[in-house]
Amino acid sequence: MQAPPGMTPEAAECDDAALLRAVARGDERAIAALYDRHAGWLTVRMTRRCALPDVVDHAVQDTFLAVWREAGSYRGGGEVAAFIWGIGIRRLIDAIRRENSSSRRLPWHAAETQVVTSAEDQVLVGIEHGRLGQALADLSPELRGAIEATVLDGLTCAEAAVLLSVPEGTVKSRCHRARVTLRAALAAQQSGSDEAGRRREAWGTS
Amino acid sequence: MNTNVRTAAISADGLARRYGANRALDDVDLTLERGITGLLGPNGAGKTTLLSILATVNEPDAGSVSVFGLDPRQPAERVEIRRRLGYLPQELGYHRHFKVAAFLDYMAILKEITDRRRRADEVARVLTAVGLEQRAGTRIRALSGGMRQRLGIAQALLGEPDLLILDEPTAGLDPEQRLRFRELLSDLPGDPVIVLSTHQADDITAICPRVVVLLQGRIHFNGAPAELAATAAGRVWVADERDGRAHLSWRGSDNRWRHIGDHPPAGAELVTPMAEDGYLLLSHAAGTR
Amino acid sequence: MAWTDGHATRDLLAGYAAGTVEAVAVWSVEAHLTGCARCRSALSALVDAGRLARNRSVLLVRVALPHGGLVRRLLCRCGIPDYVLDLVAATPSLRRSWLLSVVGVLAVVTGEAATVKYGWIPVSGHPGLAGNPSPEALAPFLLIAPLLVLAGVAAAFLPMLDPAYRLAVAAPFSGIKLLLLRTISALIAASVPVACAALIVPGPGWLPVALLLPSLALCGFALATASILGSRAAAVIAGMLWVLPALLLATWHVPLAIVQRNAQFACAAVLCTCAVVLYLRRDRFEVGSAT
Repeated sequence: MQAPPGMTPEAAECDDAALLRAVARGDERAIAALYDRHAGWLTVRMTRRCALPDVVDHAVQDTFLAVWREAGSYRGGGEVAAFIWGIGIRRLIDAIRRENSSSRRLPWHAAETQVVTSAEDQVLVGIEHGRLGQALADLSPELRGAIEATVLDGLTCAEAAVLLSVPEGTVKSRCHRARVTLRAALAAQQSGSDEAGRRREAWGTS
Repeated sequence: MNTNVRTAAISADGLARRYGANRALDDVDLTLERGITGLLGPNGAGKTTLLSILATVNEPDAGSVSVFGLDPRQPAERVEIRRRLGYLPQELGYHRHFKVAAFLDYMAILKEITDRRRRADEVARVLTAVGLEQRAGTRIRALSGGMRQRLGIAQALLGEPDLLILDEPTAGLDPEQRLRFRELLSDLPGDPVIVLSTHQADDITAICPRVVVLLQGRIHFNGAPAELAATAAGRVWVADERDGRAHLSWRGSDNRWRHIGDHPPAGAELVTPMAEDGYLLLSHAAGTR
Repeated sequence: MAWTDGHATRDLLAGYAAGTVEAVAVWSVEAHLTGCARCRSALSALVDAGRLARNRSVLLVRVALPHGGLVRRLLCRCGIPDYVLDLVAATPSLRRSWLLSVVGVLAVVTGEAATVKYGWIPVSGHPGLAGNPSPEALAPFLLIAPLLVLAGVAAAFLPMLDPAYRLAVAAPFSGIKLLLLRTISALIAASVPVACAALIVPGPGWLPVALLLPSLALCGFALATASILGSRAAAVIAGMLWVLPALLLATWHVPLAIVQRNAQFACAAVLCTCAVVLYLRRDRFEVGSAT
C-alpha cells in the first residue's frame, strides 16, 4: 500500500493501534499520519449523511481533534476505524446541531449508517445477498433511515432526530413501524421459501 | 468598505522625522497605488522610518499621511487603518517559546478575529501560503532564520489586509524561497497595496512595477524599474581591466569588469544598463553631494 | 462485479463516493471499510486532495493550540471570552520561569525573616507588636514584596520585554485594553505567591491583605506615569517611590508603618488619582514608543 504523502516510512509500517498509542503520548506526527489514512473515507461517509461540505469539514477536523485528546480511551478491542467513526458520527451531529441553531436548513441525506462492532460486520456484509437485505431494501427510505440511525449507529432517538432533521417522536414511530414491517417481511420470506421447497420436493429431482 | 474613490490609495505629504540630530526623513512626498511598490535604499536612508509611519506605528514630526482616505492622527480612523493593515517590521522579535500556531493565533486575536474556528482556518491559510503548514506545532526557537522570516510574512497576511507593508521581507531567504515569495505576492486576494523595502535589486526588477529610491531621507527616484535603468544610459561599460575613472567597478561572473561612471572612456564597450546600475549611480551622486 | 477478491471494485467505491449506489450496497461497503485498509486508501484517492490538505492544515493548527486546563475552563464558565484568555496567556510575567524566580526571591526573603524569629540572627531594636520578635526582621520582606508585584506588572507592559511589541501596536486591538488585560493578569499572578509568603513570614496576620493596596497603588502609579513619561522611566520611578520610604521607615525602626492605616489611605488616594490619569491619557498607548 502506498504511503500517503507526508508520512515517514516508519509511520507507514505502524498499524493503526500503534499510531493511536503514539497519539496518546502526544506525538503530532502520529495524528497527522492517522489523518492521512482515515480522513478520506471519513469525509465520504459523513457526506453520505450531510450534504453541506463545510459542516462535514468542521466535523472531520473536530473528529481528529477529539481523537488527539481522547486517544487514551481506545481500549484496543475492535478496529481503529470503528473507534474513529464512533467519535466522528457524534461530532457530525454536534456540527449539525450548531448549524441548526444558526438556522440554516439542512437537506437530509439518505443516511446509510454503519456498524461499530466487528460482530455485526459478519451479519451485514452478508446483507446484500441475504434475506434481511431484501427486506431492508424494500423498506421506504424514511423507515430505513430511522432503523439505520438507531440500530446500526447506536444513536439515541434524540441524536437520530438531529441527524434526520425530524422530531424525536417521528423517529420513535418510524423505528416501530420499520421493525413491524421487517418482521412481517421476514416471516413472509420464510414461509415463501418453505413453500417453494415443498413444491420442489413434490415434483421430485428429475 | 473603501468608500473613498481616490486615484491614490496612500499618500504622504511633506513627511519629516528626526531622531536627535539625525534627519531620518526630510520632506518626503509619496503616493502609492494598488500593486507592488519597491522601496530601495541603503541602511540609514530612512526606509524603516518611512514604513513605520505608513504603518501608523510611528508619528512624523511634520507632514501628513492619508491611508485609504483615513487620517492616522484621528484615533478612530487609526484603528480602521490598522484593521486593513498587515505589517512586517525589520528584525521582528518573537515569543521564542511559543509554538508557531499559537503565535499566529495570538496575532489573529490582535487583528480582532474573535471566533476560534475562523482563527484556526485563517492561521492554516497563511501557514499554507508561506509553506509552513507542517510546522504548526514547532516552537519558534526551533525554526531556522528563513522560516522565521516566512512566519513574519505569514502574520502580516492574517486577515487579508488591503495594505501590506513589508520591511526587508526577503532577508534571510534563499533564492528558491524568494521565488516562492514573489509568487505569493502576485497571488494575494483582493489586490492590496503592497510596499516592500529591500536591498536586493533583482527583487525590484522581478516583482515591482514601481520603484522608489530613498537616499538620506529624501526621495531621489519614483517610477518604473526600466526608467531607473534608463537614467544610467550611456554610463555603464565593461572592460577586461579595472578602470580607475569609474565611480564603481566590480568583476562580473564572466570575469570582466563592469564600470559605472559619468564619463566612460572613448571607445569603451557600453552595455545596456540595469535598474541596479541606475540605483548605484543615484546613490553615488547623493553621497558626493 | 462489485466485489473482487473480497475487496470493493473501483467502480463500486466511486459509486459510493458519488452517492449513486443503492442503500444495501452502501451498508456493505461501509461495513467492509471498517476492516480493510486497502479499500480505505483507495476511497481516499477519490476525495478532492485540496480539500483534504486544507482540513489537514487546520487540524495541525488546532492540535498545536493549547487546549487549556481546569483553570481555563473555570474562567470560561465565569463568562470570560476565550480570546481574552488566549491573549493573557501570551503575557511574559505569567511564564513559569518568571513565577519561579518570584517564588525564589520570596523564599530567600521569607527565610531570612524566619531565621530571625528563631533567633539565629540577633536583631536589636524596639520591642515590636505583641508576639513578634522585631519589626526590622520584616523590613526586607516589606521592601521586596510589592516590588515583585511591580516587576511582574512591568514585564507585562514594558515594550522591551515584549518581543512582538511593534506588531501589537500595528494591530487594531485596543492598546489600552491589551495593556490592562495583561497588567491585571500579571498582578494576580504575582500577588498570589506574595500573599502566601506574607502568611508564612513571622509578622502580623493581616500582612497579606495589607500588602494588597500598596501593590495596587504602585502598579497603578507605574501605568499612569507610563502614559506621561514612557514605560521605562515609569517603572523605575515607581520602584524608587516604594524603596525610598521603605528604607527610610526601616532606619527609623518602624518598617511596618508602610502598610499601616495612614499608608493605606495614602495608597488608596494614589490609586484613584492614577486611575483617572490613566483614563485621560489612554490614547498614549495606541502609538508606538521610541524604545
